[in-house]
Amino acid sequence: MGAGDSAGPRSLWTEGQMALLELNGVTKRFGGLTAVNNVTFNVEAGSIFGLIGPNGAGKSTLLNCLAGLTRPNAGTIHFDGHDTTGFPADKMSRLGLGRTFQIPRPFPRMTALENVAVSASFGGARLGARAVQERSLEMLEYVEFPRAPHTSAATLNAVQLKRLDLARALASRPKMLFLDEFAAGLTPSELHDIAKLLRRIRDDGTTILMVEHVMRLIMDLCDTLSVLQFGELIAHGDAATVAQDERVREAYLGPNYML
Amino acid sequence: MVTTSTTPAASAAQRGPQRLGLIAAVVLIAVSIALPFVPPFTGQDWQRYLVGAALIAASAVAFDFTAGYIDIVNFGFAAFMGLGGYTSAILVNTYGISPWLGFPLGALTAGILGLLTGLLTLRLRGIYAAVMTWFVALALLGLARNLTDVTRGPLGLAVSPLLATNDNLPYYYVMLGILIATLVVLTLVIRSRVGLAFRAIGQNLQAARASGINPTVFLVANFTISCAFAGVFGVFYAHYYGILTPDVMGTSHTIEILAIAYIGGRGSLWGPAVIAFPMYIAVQLLKVQLSSQPALYLVIYGLLLILVMLYRPDGAAGVIRSLGHRLDRRPKSGAGPAGASATPTPGATA
Repeated sequence: MGAGDSAGPRSLWTEGQMALLELNGVTKRFGGLTAVNNVTFNVEAGSIFGLIGPNGAGKSTLLNCLAGLTRPNAGTIHFDGHDTTGFPADKMSRLGLGRTFQIPRPFPRMTALENVAVSASFGGARLGARAVQERSLEMLEYVEFPRAPHTSAATLNAVQLKRLDLARALASRPKMLFLDEFAAGLTPSELHDIAKLLRRIRDDGTTILMVEHVMRLIMDLCDTLSVLQFGELIAHGDAATVAQDERVREAYLGPNYML
Repeated sequence: MVTTSTTPAASAAQRGPQRLGLIAAVVLIAVSIALPFVPPFTGQDWQRYLVGAALIAASAVAFDFTAGYIDIVNFGFAAFMGLGGYTSAILVNTYGISPWLGFPLGALTAGILGLLTGLLTLRLRGIYAAVMTWFVALALLGLARNLTDVTRGPLGLAVSPLLATNDNLPYYYVMLGILIATLVVLTLVIRSRVGLAFRAIGQNLQAARASGINPTVFLVANFTISCAFAGVFGVFYAHYYGILTPDVMGTSHTIEILAIAYIGGRGSLWGPAVIAFPMYIAVQLLKVQLSSQPALYLVIYGLLLILVMLYRPDGAAGVIRSLGHRLDRRPKSGAGPAGASATPTPGATA
């Protein structure tokens, strides 16, 4: 479970050792544009892993490759011991990958409870009817969903939808959770609550990979950071070291960034 | 199996409308059974309207099962009906089997073609899938027109009757039974785990995928079920009207079903069934009045459709539902939250 495989080039690609998620030379091109170029890193089980980079760096494209929305042109992706390169999103979900979306995607003509029940029924956990009910209610409580379980999803506000998205992602008991800019648009006090919640999710055994712009949250939470720029991995390591890296500060954080 | 069933914690708000819905359903079924004995429905002409209304009601329910839940418009619906009808008619005419045996056989052929069409088209989304179903329908229509050895083409194929009577009343009860069975079966499917997957796919495909649902499996399953039901209705059509022409499969017939399904309320199943009776009968009366303009009824359907899309996208079902909620809320002077569910008033079906 050691999240402390720590910094340095050694952790970029460690032969023989099983990480939960292993990327090897992942490349995605759109016509002449190389959105993700030869990216290699591992995500250790039990850690919170941050993927950062300026707008257009290829973070979302990389996430889509990993979550099964698009197929990489080259490279391999291993998840939980399986070669999952090019697997579709539903298969990734059944293998134990949960995700939230940059803009939450609820099922609008369902109740909040039904939204969560979909993932509990068909995701990796494959629960029976009764267990689905229990698990769904439990997950709404877990993410501190502030409305009644039978509230129609169409009536929820943006922050409530984020929590619903999270409850749905967790309902399938994922081994790993992808968060795509989950903190965007949250107030400082909401940010504080979310940080607490994410730490709890990690402690309960779900590895987290987050694409994020809110630096406070990243520095607060992430054990390991990868930085993308123009589709290439320019830094990788523990959060404090990466934040000190000259190239990273220049490329992304800006010259005036203070830790 | 019922994944959407209520839990003790949150049922108070749900139980009232559910109870009210059940009462409304029982009242409506009673009314539809008694209707042929109430003037003017005692006459043969009016009873023929009732049979037609029950037939188009069932068709609209099965159409809504696909359009309202997985968001795929089956522009070939009438052609699948026609395929079921021709299958039964030809087998009955050739081998002399009972027309009743035609029902499972018609369902089988329409279901199998539905399965193949689904496998072929449902990887496409939205309008592309709809257009592909339309192509299949046009191909079937072409076959029915040109395979004159088996279908007699536009001359029409004479079909032996289902019942040994010219009275419309027994036919009405057969079709009403088919309609109620269709509603019950499809509602149970929608409320099951499989139905949850249908709804998820129809409401947000990417989120459904991310939740572990393989869309192709469920899309094809839904489409196949709907087409098999279309086949059953086609068999009834053939053995009730006694003649089959390729026109049965025409797009205008599908549009009529689509209009009633949408006006009744997408994604409700019961809405199309309820609205079909008044709408179909009104249109038939209008057709008699406007016999000089035979296609005018399609214009009327079109206008109604536009009005529903603009002002009430949830259709008649939405209107009835909000009336029901109001009825349910009004007599709340009862004893606490349990009282609300014990006092639904009759007359919710007017």
